[in-house]
Amino acid sequence: TAGIRIFRFGPCQVSLSMTEIRAGFNAIKANIQARDPIRTLSILSYPHSLHKVQSSDRCCITHQLFDFYVEKVFKHCQTEDSSINRKISSIANSFLSVKRNLGQCREQNKCTCGQESSEKLKQILENYEGLNVTSAAIKSLGELDILLDWME
Amino acid sequence: EDAVLPAPQNISILSTNMKHFLTWSPVIIQGETVRYSVEFQGEYEREYANESWIPTCECSLITATVCNITEDISATVAYNLRVRTVVGARRSEWGTLKGFFNRITTSLTPPLTKVIADGYHLLVELEDMGPAFQFCVLYWKKGQEDRMQQKVVKEVGSVVHLDTMEAGPDYCVKAQTYVEAINRSSNFSQTQCVRAQGGTSMWL
Repeated sequence: TAGIRIFRFGPCQVSLSMTEIRAGFNAIKANIQARDPIRTLSILSYPHSLHKVQSSDRCCITHQLFDFYVEKVFKHCQTEDSSINRKISSIANSFLSVKRNLGQCREQNKCTCGQESSEKLKQILENYEGLNVTSAAIKSLGELDILLDWME
Repeated sequence: EDAVLPAPQNISILSTNMKHFLTWSPVIIQGETVRYSVEFQGEYEREYANESWIPTCECSLITATVCNITEDISATVAYNLRVRTVVGARRSEWGTLKGFFNRITTSLTPPLTKVIADGYHLLVELEDMGPAFQFCVLYWKKGQEDRMQQKVVKEVGSVVHLDTMEAGPDYCVKAQTYVEAINRSSNFSQTQCVRAQGGTSMWL
């Protein structure tokens, strides 16, 4: 089916068309990763993998990451290939829905942020700003499955 | 100087069972082949990408006046849609759909169902409506509507086995679709009743 996943972070619950997003990402993954020459660096996983995050901060980090992709990443990933751009648009619009739902959880204090999440986000932003914006955005997009795997 | 190309008019959306089509009235220009191009803009593009527009997957320089935008409408957000006329190198102004389109408004029709009594087995065959669809099937012994049973069918493949029937009473079945992506269901299909008859299939 369309593969809606309901993600529960304590009192916060958001639904996400995971299958649609993964299908969109898998269709562009090879092309996007081929545009990323810097294989030795990671935006999401350096120095520590997302998997080390404490469960109490998962909701906040998820919201911060969706916010990061919507606000910073997707807009700098335009390519000369309109089919790639269409898939990116599809993912970006799905991320926007989830970002909004998580934002409502934060407003209702159902998605609290601890020190760990702010440190993790700070590290990701440092990794991101250590590269020129297009390279950083393309690398981040190429690592989207790291986020999706961590969420699942 | 070339006359200005008229933009397409009467632009509208036909959306049924998560299949979305943009339609418009034809532009007639004597002696010319008139073509059309369609673009879409999601909420993300409006808010974060300078209100940019994206060419649709299937409808660049087409001659038809209908465009399948299902592939492009792939998130549950509000989309803008527009179409323009193209004759040779000449382009019209864009004709834009009045209002947004969100796939959550698609109309959902009851599924085609075929209820089969195969000996004492109550079976149902469901229409394959695509990966976005699940089915909720209700079945009961006629006269015992208060003891209705339900089966959720997530993958439509072969025939679905519902129950083993007793000889004699009629067994009734109806089904509805459910689309997780928009969290909506269709109305129920017509009720169909069958009865077990020894080893032979029996319709009522």
